[in-house]
Amino acid sequence: MRRAVSTSLVPLVLASSMAGPVQAQVRAVEVRAPRAFGYMLGDLVRAQVDIVVEDGFAIQAASLPQRGALAYWLDLRDIAVSQADAGDARRVRLDLTYQTFYAALDVRSLEVPGFTVSFVSQGASGATTASARVPAWTFTISPLREILPPAKENPQDYMRPDGRVASLDPRPTLFTGLGFAGLALAAFAGLARDRTWWPFRVRRGRAFAAARRRLRGLGGRPDAAEAYREALLALHRGLDETDGRRVLADDLDRFLDRHPAYRGQAPGLVAFFEASRIAFFGNDTARARGRLARPEIAALAARLARAERTA
Amino acid sequence: MNDIRRDDAMLTDWREAAGRFERSVASAVVGQDRAIRLITIAIFARGHVLLEGDVGVGKTTLLRAVARALGGAYERVEGTVDMMPTDLVYHTYLADDGRPRVEPGPVLRQAEDLSIFFFNEINRARPQVHALLLRLMAERTLTAFDREYRFPNLQVFADRNRVEREETFELPAAARDRFLMEIGMEAPSDAQARRALVFDPRFHDTDALIAGIDGAVLDHAAIAGIGAAIQHGIQASPAIETYVVALWEALVRPGPAGIRLPGIDMAALIQGGASPRGLAMLVRAAKVRAWLEGRDWLVPEDIRAVFPEVMAHRVFLEPVYEMRRAGIVPALCRAVFDTVPAP
Repeated sequence: MRRAVSTSLVPLVLASSMAGPVQAQVRAVEVRAPRAFGYMLGDLVRAQVDIVVEDGFAIQAASLPQRGALAYWLDLRDIAVSQADAGDARRVRLDLTYQTFYAALDVRSLEVPGFTVSFVSQGASGATTASARVPAWTFTISPLREILPPAKENPQDYMRPDGRVASLDPRPTLFTGLGFAGLALAAFAGLARDRTWWPFRVRRGRAFAAARRRLRGLGGRPDAAEAYREALLALHRGLDETDGRRVLADDLDRFLDRHPAYRGQAPGLVAFFEASRIAFFGNDTARARGRLARPEIAALAARLARAERTA
Repeated sequence: MNDIRRDDAMLTDWREAAGRFERSVASAVVGQDRAIRLITIAIFARGHVLLEGDVGVGKTTLLRAVARALGGAYERVEGTVDMMPTDLVYHTYLADDGRPRVEPGPVLRQAEDLSIFFFNEINRARPQVHALLLRLMAERTLTAFDREYRFPNLQVFADRNRVEREETFELPAAARDRFLMEIGMEAPSDAQARRALVFDPRFHDTDALIAGIDGAVLDHAAIAGIGAAIQHGIQASPAIETYVVALWEALVRPGPAGIRLPGIDMAALIQGGASPRGLAMLVRAAKVRAWLEGRDWLVPEDIRAVFPEVMAHRVFLEPVYEMRRAGIVPALCRAVFDTVPAP
């Protein structure tokens, strides 16, 4: 590309070395550009500066122009330096890229300012410096549009028609979005499960229903006394689980206060606790069975399980 | 069979006497029914009691009322920072003839009839004094004047001010373990009782109030015998034995028992304590409670009713948690009862 540009470059300014022993170290400075006209607002303006110096001289990078705004209408966007041998001399080439922001109302010439570049040669007797003056050069800028267009009936005719744009298909984006939303939802569900947020906050198991199942399972035990104690225990565990703590006989009133759904079963529960006390702590299973028989325990558990469903 | 019948009748009579005793104390000390019930339990379980509470909630009044209703010889000392063990045992003075005399001190003065030894502000006394109490409390004996004194009916009541920490000495663990109960006393929460305490002039003159109590409702000399009869008469079923051992295990190793308290590392909470003697005292006290409730077998409620007072001061926490003891130990006791299944 660069080569293609450089072949079509036209010399704009040729500054031969001035007479004099000092200036002889810089033999020639030439500014070239692809063209000197046909630029418009915002265009990049490229220029190539060839400086031929005595062999042994190297460019001082600090003396190169800085990138940035040079004038209100001109920026230096880029500058590149390359060097090559040219016979018994060195050719230093600066590739400059300017951008113009001049909003021209007519065709006019603009002058790109010149600058000075320093070279230095490290000899046995010390450093020798030389400077090359890159001269200012001009290019021609043109306006973008007519200044006084012919009158038109409809003001909208001044506008250019909109370009037709192919309508995009939103479905792939939509589906991707939905997919990620689904993933996020799944991740949130996992988090909620981990933290036991609703709805993963487990309801208390149906404790009395479980007690009733255990009571059914006790069915045909050979040792009636042992089976009776286990039946009592099953209902005890049901009460404990419902309350989240151990419920003793004296706690019955407070239990009923906390769980009013079972208030209807109070007489049965009183009898149950009395029988349990006698069976476990009074060591008199027979008397306990007189107070509350096995089938009555099962019936009480069934009634409690029914109350539990409405609780 | 006849023996048992006689025992039963005797226990029933004594239960009525215990009821009279409680009512008699309650006539002077209002709104402290729980503390009175616990002290009654301690009397029949033959255990020593440490009362703890704020200033002016009626600790001393309660103990004086109990001493009056119980009858028997009564001695009282005030703990001070310069008290020495010998001050309890000997009374030294210069007699009229100018000669030094050594006579029995507060503990020995009533000789072996002493039934209540009341140590006020026990934490103001030095550890040497606490050490003397160890033997007096555990064995009810004391060696003085080259002979051994026995106090078969002795019961030590002590009180301790919870607020003050200046110039006080924490009771050593061994001394605390010898108290059957440590009862925390609060001002009554009942509005009626509060009003009466503040406005009824009857409660302003403590001496007259105590003098108004029926004296010697109980025969203090017979209590040791009746206490033994209660311990033999009340049955503990295998289920309650399992329950108590499970409570013990849960109290000493709460982590494995599934107890979690917020903000506390359960593995590093309990340092020790809850001695076998403590458990034995727990069951003694629970049996007395069962007897007072008119049962001849133990139920878990009996254990629960006395557990905090009997066990809480026997649990020793790791030093990090010791300062927060007042909050942690009651929560731990509650959690133990919420966790251990009964039966």
